[in-house]
Formats: sequence, structure tokens, C-alpha cells
Amino acid sequence: MDDFTDELHRLVVEETRSARGASIRKRPARPAIMPASAWTTETRISSETGRALSIVFSTIGCAHARDASGGCTMCSYLLDGTQRSPSSEELQQQFTNAMSKLEGAPSPVSVKLYTSGSFLDPGEVPVSARTAILEMLAADSRVREVVLESRPEYVSQEVMAELRKSLGDKEIELGIGLESSNDLIRSICINKGFSAEDFHNAIEIARSEGIGVRAYVLVKPPFLTERDALLDGIQTIRDVAAMGATTISVNPVNVQSYTLVERLWSRGEYRPPWLWTVLEILRQSSSSSGDSVRIVCDPVAAGRIRGTHNCGVCDEAVSQAIHEFSLVQDASVLEGLDCSCLSEWEHVLEHEDSSLLVHDHTLTGK
Amino acid sequence: MTEFLINRGHDGPARSGTLRLKSSTTSTPALIGGTSSTDSILGIWTLGRDSRPLSVPCILALPPLSDYTDSMLELIRDDDPILLPSLPSSSTLGPDFAAALLNRQLVLLQNSGDMIEPSRVIVRIPPQVKHELLDSIVPRFDELGVRGAAFVFNGELGPNDRDSLALRSRLPRNWLTLALGRIEPYAIPVFYYLGLDLIDAGRALGAAAQGIRLWPRGYESIPHSEEIRYCSCHACSSQTNLADIDREALQTVLVAHNMGLCRTFLSESVNAAHLGQLRSLVESMTHSSPASAAFLRTVDKELYTFTEEFTNTTGSGALPLIGPESYNSPVVRRFREYVASRYVPPSYKKLILILPCSARKPYSDSKSHKLFREVTDAGLGASRFAVAETILTSPLGVIPRELERSYPASFYDLPVTGDWDAEETAIAADALSVHLAKFDKSAVVIAHVSGGYEDAVKAAESRIQQSIIYTTSGQPATSRESLESLGETLKELVDVLSLKSGRSLENKEILRATADFQFGSGSGEVLIPENASVWGKPYGMIVSRIEKEQTCAYVAASGALSLTLVGGRLVAPLERYWVRFDGRRIKGGSVFAVGVLDADPKIRPGDEVIVIGTDDEVIGVGRSEMSGIEMCEFEKGCAVSVRHKVD
Repeated sequence: MDDFTDELHRLVVEETRSARGASIRKRPARPAIMPASAWTTETRISSETGRALSIVFSTIGCAHARDASGGCTMCSYLLDGTQRSPSSEELQQQFTNAMSKLEGAPSPVSVKLYTSGSFLDPGEVPVSARTAILEMLAADSRVREVVLESRPEYVSQEVMAELRKSLGDKEIELGIGLESSNDLIRSICINKGFSAEDFHNAIEIARSEGIGVRAYVLVKPPFLTERDALLDGIQTIRDVAAMGATTISVNPVNVQSYTLVERLWSRGEYRPPWLWTVLEILRQSSSSSGDSVRIVCDPVAAGRIRGTHNCGVCDEAVSQAIHEFSLVQDASVLEGLDCSCLSEWEHVLEHEDSSLLVHDHTLTGK
Repeated sequence: MTEFLINRGHDGPARSGTLRLKSSTTSTPALIGGTSSTDSILGIWTLGRDSRPLSVPCILALPPLSDYTDSMLELIRDDDPILLPSLPSSSTLGPDFAAALLNRQLVLLQNSGDMIEPSRVIVRIPPQVKHELLDSIVPRFDELGVRGAAFVFNGELGPNDRDSLALRSRLPRNWLTLALGRIEPYAIPVFYYLGLDLIDAGRALGAAAQGIRLWPRGYESIPHSEEIRYCSCHACSSQTNLADIDREALQTVLVAHNMGLCRTFLSESVNAAHLGQLRSLVESMTHSSPASAAFLRTVDKELYTFTEEFTNTTGSGALPLIGPESYNSPVVRRFREYVASRYVPPSYKKLILILPCSARKPYSDSKSHKLFREVTDAGLGASRFAVAETILTSPLGVIPRELERSYPASFYDLPVTGDWDAEETAIAADALSVHLAKFDKSAVVIAHVSGGYEDAVKAAESRIQQSIIYTTSGQPATSRESLESLGETLKELVDVLSLKSGRSLENKEILRATADFQFGSGSGEVLIPENASVWGKPYGMIVSRIEKEQTCAYVAASGALSLTLVGGRLVAPLERYWVRFDGRRIKGGSVFAVGVLDADPKIRPGDEVIVIGTDDEVIGVGRSEMSGIEMCEFEKGCAVSVRHKVD
């Protein structure tokens, strides 16, 4: 990278921190023994149907977002956390409180351990809490699958071995957000703070312990044209599949509060991706990535102005097709959709690239 | 190798040019965004992403945030101008971000080896770039051989678009300029006027993709529109009902219609520029939207030094000044400033007669001014030479009688209602107070004006040091009562002021005032000294000679002075309106920009200029074809059309 690319990155960091502002310190106090949220859904676990419990622990939040690096340009999940770091005991109570939602649920179940950061960061979830939670999961014979999320810097051989040892033969999937396999995009546009190589190493380590990796791919970080976003999404999926990810979760950017993305968006300088872009990424990826990897997409705020959206007429049908695809992994459900806004999207793909003007008629009212 | 040549002739910053590529040539102004082979349309494509439109000259955009490997750069056809990569503009990230984006382009170009030929390069200038940074970085691109820049407009004609224009105004004058982004068809004339050579028609194509048909004013959404409008264009009339055709066919029709509209506006602009009427066209189009009107008025204020530099000082044909958007048009404001800063009244003027303007130009030819003349002649008799006539008018302010035929005083035309708005009154009052301050305090001002004119005098009253006599008492200036009152007042003043008798010095006054107006104050006395003999008629031609050698001639039709070589030598020591030529003699009838070593930055297209050779002698006089700064910056083109030269 040249000096001026570094300068772009430095300014993005500065602006990201400024956008985050005092929001971190003003996070509302939460009861330390309750998770930020917990919910169950019907899901597929291997070849059976079962219940999945998702737990979002209330923690102090992502270290990357809290420290001087400012965190990612589009993310304010940090705000789901609390200002005071819960104790190990409190975190264990959050877990048992959440697990009560699975009371009476038959086998098999899947448990997803989320924080607004990294479950494997000992600064966020103390090792003693992690060990205790893993023990409780190990003891529950209904639990067939455990999913957890972490940045790659916390993925060591030692911790992977610990996971495998404590959970025995349960399925383990580790979620890591690479977002983009393009180093320039990941640093300047996202400020992710790690390299594609860090991510690749984490996958290798996880695999050596029989742990699968769910790779998060971001669609349309800021400063990209619509077609940049389309091409980057397709390329990133291809790359993470080649690196050995077991699941690829495709995440269109939604405009979250106190982020750089929100600042751009409020000035008409950012538009969340078109649903057509998301659809096209899935369409092209499902044909190229083969059967070994699952590609899923459950966009936040789809059809809303802060989320991935089209013209308003076709949003529901396209979102529905994307949802359906995630369940059945059959690209044919993505075919045959049409709307009068399709040609506008095609124009935007071309014209944004040449003009570098953000095209968003819904914002300017034209 | 790409070359951009600017043709002769200006109408404001607008110019016509030729973009010469290896295998094709395109005339500018032109539209960007075409895929079919038609005149005045360039294609545009992004490397590695679009297929190149066939059979049209194209601009190639390099995609942002790519690694430009040699194998990628090899895909660049050896013909298309190349748009360097940047990122979508961000006011959020501010000027430092914009600066880094601009610097990255320079680094890319420097590191590309010989893969990217600089003469083909177009730099993208982010709207947030600080002026100082642009001023320091553009010369570095220029040194490498870059001759093109692209600016982005969001089409709102607000602060963002004005920022881009302000940046455009700072470019070297020989660079090709692109307006990218969203440009409504009705804004094409103003963008062309403001010196943009290639204009993005993406809005027309985007609207077609949205099912929108653009009109000179507004747009129509098809097939949602309740009643589909009639259109006579070829594309629309080939369909019986636009609501009945399928989407793809509709888009094809709308592309043709919308692009047709852009081409119509562009063609009208080019034609207007040839006629010297582009500014009028732009003014007439300010009513397309309130934003357009605000845009032009603000640009007139903010970018006057830019627009004025390229505005001709001579012209032919009527100059319509219709509304408030004319009050500060460069030609109008410059006239006011020249009169204020350059006109010096003869010291023997003891009376200042303020008169209203007339619809007919020059004023002297009008009925009303013939009446004023009769009354003045009768009232003052042999003391007539002591009166300075000053015509009060909107929006030119004050026009000394001697300058009534100068450009644009004898060419402007405006709707005469007798009502003045506050801005007009303020403009005239300001001009009047500055003008009268040049006369002796003991002189007497006779305000033979009524209505809005009188209001303007009254508005200036507190700033006028002379005594003022009003002679109309509420009646029109041409009424019998008013004229009688004027005649009596003048008669009385001859006695009261003990005015002397003398010969009319009208011809000399016209020559001197015109010389001052053209070359700056003091020029008149130098060019037409006391020993000059002056012959001719104000409505025809006036010639000045010194010892039988002609020095200059005034032609009433243009209201301008032309110099002879002798005249040029008289004016030369003032060091104004000079062009330093790289040679001892001029060959042919023109001085070309390539042969200009240096030139007075005050020179405007249309000015009378003096050409000085390498041995410091005046070697020619003629008419400038470009601004003085352009003469220095341009590598090609005619700088001066020579009238007389040393053989």
C-alpha cells in the first residue's frame, strides 16, 4: 500500500471513531444476569429438524470496536453490550437463563453462542465462564451442534483443542467475519483490522480440530459502487470457499446507528445494496462453489431504507427467494424474478462505476 | 496519444474544441454515455467490467480499488482516454480524504511506467478537494503531460455542484474538462457555458431505465402517467401508444427520446455560442427550476473572475438582459466596473446632466434623447461643452454619453416597464455615487429623471457631494413641463455658474473616454494628446492624427477604438494590453499562442492589443482571440488577429 492509501485508512479510522462517539459510554445498563437477547428457531441439524437456540451474551463488547482502531465502519453491535463487564458468574447465569428456553425441547438441539464481539476473547468472556458454559453444553446430550463467533486473533490451536476436548463429538462451527477477501476493501472500507491470511490461518487451525468455519461475507461496504460490491461479494465467496469454509453467510450492509456508514448514508453518500445485487451474488456463487459449502443469507432490514432494498414493489418477493435459497440451497429458486426496477439496477451498475456518483433516488426524493 | 485542441472563439468560458484520438476525432462539446455511433456522443466503459461499445470513440474508466497489474493494464486499448480511479465522493470524510484520493491517482500514474500514456489521462477531482491542494497538485499532473480532468455533479445545482465548478475554474485553461454524474438535460447549456467540454448523459439513460421520459421542463413517468404526452420526436412517434409496448421496447424508445433531448439542448447551446448568445440562452433557462436560477446567480457572484476572463469585450447583435439573472452577468458587471474604475471626466465639466435611458440604442438616436439634446443645446448655447451627460440605466448603472456606443451599452435590450426593483435601484445608485465623486464638488448635478430613475438618484443622494437639481417634478422626463423646466434650469445655471463659451470637444471626448475604457485611465491623454487633430462624426467614424499620421480610429458601429502601429507605440509605455511575441517580426495575419512569451493578464477576448517583439519594439496591433492567460498557457491556437504589423 502506498502512503496515500494508508492516509485513506487513517481518515476512515478517525471518522469511524468519531461516528461511534460517546455511544459506547452511554450504553444502557442491563441486568448482568440476562443475555442481551435469546431466541429459538426451527432449524436443520445435520439431516434432522430440531430447535436452535441463539444467545447473544451481554458483554463489554467487541475489543476491536472499543479500542483506538475504532471498529468496523458498518457495525454498532457493540451497543447491545453493557458498560460494565459482567463477571464470570454473571455470564454463566446469562447462559442458564437463556437455556431455559430449551426446556422440554427434544433432541437434537443447536446452541449458538454470540456476543457483540468475540466469544473466544478472554477479555470479553473470561476463560472460567467459557469453560463452565462449554461444560454445561457438553453435559446436555440433546445438544448436537454448537456455533460460536470470534475474530481470528482469538483462534489458537490451544483454544480449538479445548473446544474439541470439552464438546467431544458434537458438531462445532466457528463464525468468523472475513467480510471481504480484498485487502484494500477490508482495510479502507471496513477497517476490519486483520488480514486475509489471519483468517485463512484460523480456518486451518479450526479444521485441524474438526471444527467447521462459517465465514461472514459483507455485501457493499462503504465507498464501493454497486458493481464493486457485486464483484467483491462474488470473489470473496469464491475465495472463502477455496480456503475451506464450511458455511458462507452473506450479509448485506444495513445502516446501523453511530457508524461511519450511517454518516455517509444520511448525506446521500451511501446506499445499502440492492436486493438484486444480493440475489446475483447468490446466483453466481451457488453455481461456482459446489456442494461442499452452504451459502446462507438472512438480510437484516431487507426492503427497508436502512437495509438492502430494491424499488419497494419487488422487495418482498426477492427477499423471500433469498430466504428460500438459504433453506433449500437450490439456485433455481433465485431464477425467474422480474421487476421494472431491474433495468434501473443494471444502469446503476454501469453508471456508478464511471461517474462515481452514489445513485439513490429514494434518499434525494427524485 | 490524445490531443485536445481548442478552436478559435469564446462565449464565456464555453469553447469548442477537437478531441483527437489515435483513430478518431470528436468535436466538443459532446455528450458522454452513448453506445451508438452518432455525432457528439462518446461512449464510456469500465475496464474489466463492461464490454467496450463498438464503433464510437470511448472513454475508459479504471475501476476503483483494484490492483493494476501489468496484465490488466495491457487490456487498455491504445486509443481511449483513461479516467483514473478514485472512490465515490464523500463530504463526510472531508478534504483530507479527497486529497489522498487525488494523490493516489498521481502515484498510480507515476508508478505505471509507460503502461499509461499521460496525454490520455483524465484525473478525477473529488469535490471536497481544497483549492490550495488542487493548485499545487495540478501542475504535477500537467508536467507529466496530463491534459484532462473530470468533476462530479449530483445534479442538485447546490453547494456540492458549485464546489465542483469552483474547482473546474482553477484548472489550466487548455485542459479537457468532463462533467460526470447526474446532469439534467436542461442544465446542459449552463454546464457548457461554464466551460465543461464533455457532459455525462447518464441521467438521460438512467431515466429511460426507470421508465421516465424527460422533457425540457420536468419529466413524465410512463406508463404511470395518466395521459401520455404528445411527442414529435422520431423515437416516440414511431409508437402508437407508449403504454402498450413492453418494457424493453419502452426503454429503447426512452433512451432515444431522452438522448435526443440532450442532443437538442447541446446543439442549441453550440449554436448560441457561435452567435455569442450562449449567456442569454443560459439566462433564459434559469426558469427551468428555482435551483437553476439560484445556481446561476450564485455562480455569477462566486466565480466572476473565472467567467469574466473568457467573456468577450466586443460583440455584435442584441444582448437581451431580461431579468435579475442579468444584473451580474460578467459582461454587465464588467461594464459597470470599467466605467467606475477607468472613466475620467474632463476637468472642464461644470454640470452633470443625468438622463434616463431609452429603448433605442445608441441613446442619441432615440426620440427622447433628440428632445433632450434640443433643450440642452438651447439652454446652454455656447457653454454646452461644460455639461457632462450621464445616462442612468439598469442594469449597466451609469453610461457617460461618450461611451454610449461601447459594448454592451449600445447593444443591450431589456423589458422597459418603468418599475425598478430594489436590486436595480441599488446597482444604479452605487454606480451613480461612484461616478459623481469623480467630478468637482462645485459642479451641479441636474437630475432630469422620474420614476425608478429618480428613486435611484434619491437612493444615492446621501453619497453625492454636489448640489442636485431635480427638473421633472414627478412628470415623465419627455413631458413638455419637464423639458421646459430643464431648459430654464440650464439657462439659469449658465448665469449662476458664469459658464464660459467654448467649442464642442465631443469627438475628442469620445476618443479619450473610449481609450480610457479600453486601455485604462490615462490612456486617452496619451493616445489623443493636445496636439492631436481629430476628425469625424460620432455616428460614423472618428479618426485621430498626429502630424498627419493616424494613431487610432473610432468606429461608431462597434463603439470601439482600433490602433495603428503609431498609436500602439504611444500606448505601449503604459504597459497595458501587451502581448510579448517570441520573434522580431510577425509572419502572416495571426500571432499564435505558441509564439506568445507573456501577455497582460488583463487581456480579454475581443480586446485591442499591442504586440511587442523580442527587441522591445511594437511590431503589431490587433484583436485578441483569447484571454491573456490563455495566450500564455495554450500551446496552440490563434492568440491575436493582427490588423497592422511592422513589415
